[in-house]
Amino acid sequence: MENKDASSPERKLQCSDVGKCFQLLERILDGELVEGGNEMLQEKLDQCQPCFAHFHLEQAIREVLKTKCTKQPLPDKLAESIRQMIQDAR
Amino acid sequence: MSEVQRRKYSQEERSVIFDGEFMPHIDSMYNFAFRLTFDEDDAKDLVQDTYMKAFRFINSFEQGTNAKAWLFRILKNSFINDYRKKSKKPATVDYQEVETFYNSDDVDYQSTSDLRAESVKDMLGDEISNALNGLAVDFRTVIILADLEGFTYEEMAKILDIPIGTVRSRLHRARNLLKDSLKSYAQSMGYGRDEEED
Ligand SMILES: [Zn+2]
Repeated sequence: MENKDASSPERKLQCSDVGKCFQLLERILDGELVEGGNEMLQEKLDQCQPCFAHFHLEQAIREVLKTKCTKQPLPDKLAESIRQMIQDAR
Repeated sequence: MSEVQRRKYSQEERSVIFDGEFMPHIDSMYNFAFRLTFDEDDAKDLVQDTYMKAFRFINSFEQGTNAKAWLFRILKNSFINDYRKKSKKPATVDYQEVETFYNSDDVDYQSTSDLRAESVKDMLGDEISNALNGLAVDFRTVIILADLEGFTYEEMAKILDIPIGTVRSRLHRARNLLKDSLKSYAQSMGYGRDEEED
């Protein structure tokens, strides 16, 4: 429960299988269903420092992309001109 | 998604589909087009072409299925066929080159990054946008689809006509490149430097 800190003495500092772990973490973050994913995720976050750091970094990246990326405003007449084109094509 | 003609929609059905299922995605379509072309007029043309094609091939769209993915696929194909060639930007690295270089499913997952989650969260929208815009178009595309538009791996595979394994590895690579770029940015701004004592 207390394992929200950036570093915790309970976590090992070396990941035993970075390739497998990171791929799993990234798939979970991308919302892909992974069998037993939630349990595995909790275990990694509690016990492995590299996994913990990677998960939070990847989560932050996705979060800022989703929320902060500047959106290009739709030009005023675009929707209207498309509707017009379709009208004319009928 | 298939090009098979199912049946003919009536005039009225076509209007219902076009207005009800296609037009609501125009904001996302324009954003995608702009991030591909970096040019307002090109983006407008690309979106218009896409909607014209969508209308012309409306009989191959199955009502009630994923219209957004269907439209994005048309837009991406139009971009590759019509716009990429005459793009004003210098040619960036291409799909093929990239994937023969990094054999698609064989991706190295290492903890390379000493970039911190906290420094990423502190960054401004413009900094994130610039880092994204700096990526080669194929890497940029997967990030836009996954993170900005929320498509699943499966939807992305259909939009891009590539296997799911390739989606996953391309996305992973794209995010690593993005992290590299954010990292150099963070370093130049001095974000998160004070805690580094190892
Ligand atoms: Zn681990």
